[in-house]
Amino acid sequence: MTDNAPTPAPVPQPAAPAPAAKPITRADFLWTGWAMLAAFFGASAAATARFMFPNVIYEPSQKFNAGPAKSYDLGVSIKFLSEQRVWIIRNEKGIYAMWARCTHLGCTPNWWGDQNRFKCPCHGSNYTIAGDVIAGPAPRPLWRCKVELSAKGDLIIDKAVLEDLPGKRELAPYFLEMA
Amino acid sequence: MSYRKLFYALNIAMMGSFIWSLWVDFFTEWRPYQNKYFAMAADVLEKEGKTAEAKKMRHQWPEIKQILNRDLDRIDRCTTCHVGMDEYVNPTLKNNFTQNPYKAHPNVVEINGKHPFQKYGCTVCHQGQGMGTTVAGAHGRVRNWEQPLLDGKMIQGACVRCHANFEHLKGTEVAAKGKQLFYAHGCQGCHAVRGVGGIISVDLQDIADKPLERIAGYNFKRVKYKGKELSEDDWTRVHWILGHIENDPMEVTPNDPEAKLNAEPIAPSGMPNFTENDATGKREISEEDAEAITTWLMSMSPETKIPHSYYVDAPVPPEPKLSGAAHGKLVFEKYGCAGCHGLHGSKGRRNFNAKGAGQDEKEPVKGMEKGREPTLVDVVGTYTHEELVKKIATGVKSVDIVKFNTGGPTPPLYMPSWKEKIKPDELNDLAAYLLSIAKKQDVGF
Amino acid sequence: MPTLPSLEEIKKEVIDSQIWRSVFRGGLWKDTPRDRSAHIIGNVWLHLHPVRIRKRALEWTYTWGLGGISFALYLILTITGVLLMFYYRPTIDLAYRDIKDLEFAITLGKLMRNMHRWAAQAMVVGVIAHMVSVFLRGAYKKPREFNWSVGVLLLTLTLFLSFTGYLLPWDQLAIWAVTVGTNMAGATPVLGNEGPLGNLVGAHINNDVRFVLLGGTMVGENTLLRFYVMHCVAVPLVVGILLILHFWRIRKDSFSAAPYEPNEEKWEVWPHLVKREYIAAAGCTLFMFVWSIVMNAPLEVIANPNVTPNPSKAPWYFVGLQELLVYFDPWIAGVVMPGLIIVGLMAIPFIDTNPKGVGYYAWKERKFANTGFMLGITMWFTLIAIGYWFRGPNFFWYWPWESWLIPKAAPRLTWNVFGPNPTWRLWCTPNLSAFPLWLGIPVVAGLGAASLLLPKLIQKELDGWKTNLAIVGALALVAAAMRISPLHVSLGQGAWLVAFGWMHFYFGFVMPQRHIRTLDWARYIVTMALVLSTTAVLLKMCARLAFDIKYLITIPGISMNI
Repeated sequence: MTDNAPTPAPVPQPAAPAPAAKPITRADFLWTGWAMLAAFFGASAAATARFMFPNVIYEPSQKFNAGPAKSYDLGVSIKFLSEQRVWIIRNEKGIYAMWARCTHLGCTPNWWGDQNRFKCPCHGSNYTIAGDVIAGPAPRPLWRCKVELSAKGDLIIDKAVLEDLPGKRELAPYFLEMA
Repeated sequence: MSYRKLFYALNIAMMGSFIWSLWVDFFTEWRPYQNKYFAMAADVLEKEGKTAEAKKMRHQWPEIKQILNRDLDRIDRCTTCHVGMDEYVNPTLKNNFTQNPYKAHPNVVEINGKHPFQKYGCTVCHQGQGMGTTVAGAHGRVRNWEQPLLDGKMIQGACVRCHANFEHLKGTEVAAKGKQLFYAHGCQGCHAVRGVGGIISVDLQDIADKPLERIAGYNFKRVKYKGKELSEDDWTRVHWILGHIENDPMEVTPNDPEAKLNAEPIAPSGMPNFTENDATGKREISEEDAEAITTWLMSMSPETKIPHSYYVDAPVPPEPKLSGAAHGKLVFEKYGCAGCHGLHGSKGRRNFNAKGAGQDEKEPVKGMEKGREPTLVDVVGTYTHEELVKKIATGVKSVDIVKFNTGGPTPPLYMPSWKEKIKPDELNDLAAYLLSIAKKQDVGF
Repeated sequence: MPTLPSLEEIKKEVIDSQIWRSVFRGGLWKDTPRDRSAHIIGNVWLHLHPVRIRKRALEWTYTWGLGGISFALYLILTITGVLLMFYYRPTIDLAYRDIKDLEFAITLGKLMRNMHRWAAQAMVVGVIAHMVSVFLRGAYKKPREFNWSVGVLLLTLTLFLSFTGYLLPWDQLAIWAVTVGTNMAGATPVLGNEGPLGNLVGAHINNDVRFVLLGGTMVGENTLLRFYVMHCVAVPLVVGILLILHFWRIRKDSFSAAPYEPNEEKWEVWPHLVKREYIAAAGCTLFMFVWSIVMNAPLEVIANPNVTPNPSKAPWYFVGLQELLVYFDPWIAGVVMPGLIIVGLMAIPFIDTNPKGVGYYAWKERKFANTGFMLGITMWFTLIAIGYWFRGPNFFWYWPWESWLIPKAAPRLTWNVFGPNPTWRLWCTPNLSAFPLWLGIPVVAGLGAASLLLPKLIQKELDGWKTNLAIVGALALVAAAMRISPLHVSLGQGAWLVAFGWMHFYFGFVMPQRHIRTLDWARYIVTMALVLSTTAVLLKMCARLAFDIKYLITIPGISMNI
């Protein structure tokens, strides 16, 4: 495009026919120029999206140390409910940890020891101590978290790794067998 | 160049610079360290035959790891590179690596047992910049961070911040020795610690956290460490304190004794020169002892910052019950008289421009440096017991000290009035002690 | 198998579709003048442009694209600023930590912060350069007077945006720059607790203008929140409104002030102007990227209200004002001078009645305007250079090659010319006044009135060379007399007296007498007030640097010191 011509200079249009002999054709160059602009905007959008994913968060770690496993007695412990939103439950065979989040719409159910069930205050879902739904709209059982034993005998609970299928949830790492 | 070419060239350059910035952002300093750790740990697992775990370890996606210590308001990302100390990657917290940053914390079972890393974090003991993810930034050796990593034994200062019982603990021996040396050399005669002690110089209660800008006229170019100039990385509080014990403080803070910059002359630092040789031909405070004192002083941070639950109290030991000159010796040490008058009152320390022996009137400038505090063993013999008690109780104001060079500065050291601090019976016994060490004079009473 | 349509066919299909036509209003691009016009008219963003523009205005050398570059930087600042807001919390416990997070942990956080910081600096430079270029081309003259004033407001707001942003990292740089800046507000006459007459209306530390600005008596939690809201919402909103006005006026005033020529060529804005704008914006973006990758934004130690860094300096564009604070009381240097600069700049198009030199560089036709304006600009940047490069610890004068670690002798004691309790002796009276107020008030008022009125009252034009020689000679004689008198001024002091005395005479008398004595009284008085306050700054600097004069006149009872 010559700059002196007042009118009508063609606006940039790719795919002008080029001599075949040149290794890098004019068309290639033009194509690259426009593609780079598109790539720049694309990369900016992608980078902005990446920017929105924080690399560090100021929440309690998804993984946490729940103290010595032996300190838990039979039944539902609400020791880590307020801090980590997790029930730690000991039965005859071992220990499991359940995420205190109703699978319906995310409220926190309450443990009713006298009735031996969890009841959600929002829409009335009821769960057994194992986490299975016995009443209300909840579509699936409560989630169980990964449970490990540290070298010192502490419970290490990871809320990022979850399982709710009967059969699987009764096995390691979602269940810690204890004598 | 035509506009079209410019248009294309700019687009390509913009995209290029964007890729450059992504490159810079992605290839951070910490990433290779973490990957290397994963690889090393995976190799170990493979040798043990745990191939599945090894594979999982090797293919972990690196991420910034941090420990939140909400009680002490600290965010420590040290385990991002020091992965061996991350409980979640390395549950046993033990490994056989010898190289930093991969190796495990020494003595880990005991330390993690009492101070779980996931609760305490790292910088509460080690200092440094917990949020940093670069080598220089995290270790705090950067201009805009005033709490660099505490080296070696200096870390014991951090223990003392919480452990008031440090004198009876294993692992804080250096700090305990530092405290003992501080009081033995009479530093408290001039420097109060948390309000207890003399008023001649600054209270050291916040010296470990004191902003450098708060120290008027500080100049690290005048501080030498082991005879060498400091590199700028070492322009830290530790070296400022060390610098006062390992150099002649007069060189560190020369001020303006000849009134070159100010209308009135200002005496240099009155702090004694502890590099001078004592009677045995050694430095009064050796380099090792200077480091011990500094270690203890690095615990001097305002107490309010430490939550109650972290603090370990210690009972104050009762003073031994003594009387007479033996009690007086204890009083002499308790109030830091040695700070000015020397250990056991044997040698008065430098008091710039005070009139004393050995000064040549022909050298008005050099002679000022020879000014001395009274050497007690030489002078107390001229006093009666009552005179001595009165002298200590009232003190000598700095304006009343006879100057050697009348045009020179007012001497920096003076005898404070002790009647508010030393109790009457202590004072009585102190005078008895001083008279007992006085060289016998010909003058009879 | 049916053949696939070619790329051209797909393109045609898409552009001819109802959706495309509905959104973009044009059909297939044919690159006719009609298409080009339609492209501008049919697009809300491009419609700020006219359809066609004179060729003269398209030349790079005409505007250097400075206005456009400033706007491009404003856009970069908006984008990076919005992104930064996602990770920044304006509380004193979290702000500094969030900046550290941007530096150490957030993907591209460092780049965004660097870019925001550097683009802000670049925008200050860009806007000032834009103003200078518009002034020198006389493009503020009728009918563009109002748009110039809007531009001056935009410059002020740019500086204010930059200043409010300065506090947000909550480091030592931030808190002390803002402490000093807001204390100047506390020195506002009448409205500030430390300003002249403030005590008469009951201004206290907790009810004056500074209190409102800070939301407290010191820079604290409220201040940070206030500055954050001003920086991110309030001021950008005002800037946005003024920008729309500014652009719309440019469009209405036929874009450039270049003088019309007969049968002048006109080019279509699309593509000729748009492509130039794109090049400038892309160049800007590229420049900001590279600058931000290679250089990190400064971040000092966390803010500590009990410890002031030594030396403590303002952001560079305010260092000139800070330097003025050395010579003048805060209410003059911090309130009156900036006020005069802003109002004076806005008044320029209304007091400059010279019809010549519209739209081109005209040194000979606009000697007075150019000289006065450039004197002001030169002083502004000279003061910045002095404050930035020549001031060391304790704000003492350190040459750039001197080490800041070597202490300087204490400054000499100063004295006042007129004030209470006079000694009737010249500069052997530190901290005291030489002559009484009853003499000082009429003398100062008389000198001021004479300087203001004489250039207009003396109607006969004074010959340039002879007059200048005469005044230099006279000043030299005075200096010589002072040297042999008991006052014993040095040769250097004599030279200062001659140089600054002549400057005041030339810029404050010869130039106005030659060029503006024919103005009507209202315009004349305003112009002279601006000219004299400029030269008065020079005189006061000379008085302090060479003769240790603190105040020309001091009335402590009402905190009035000049």
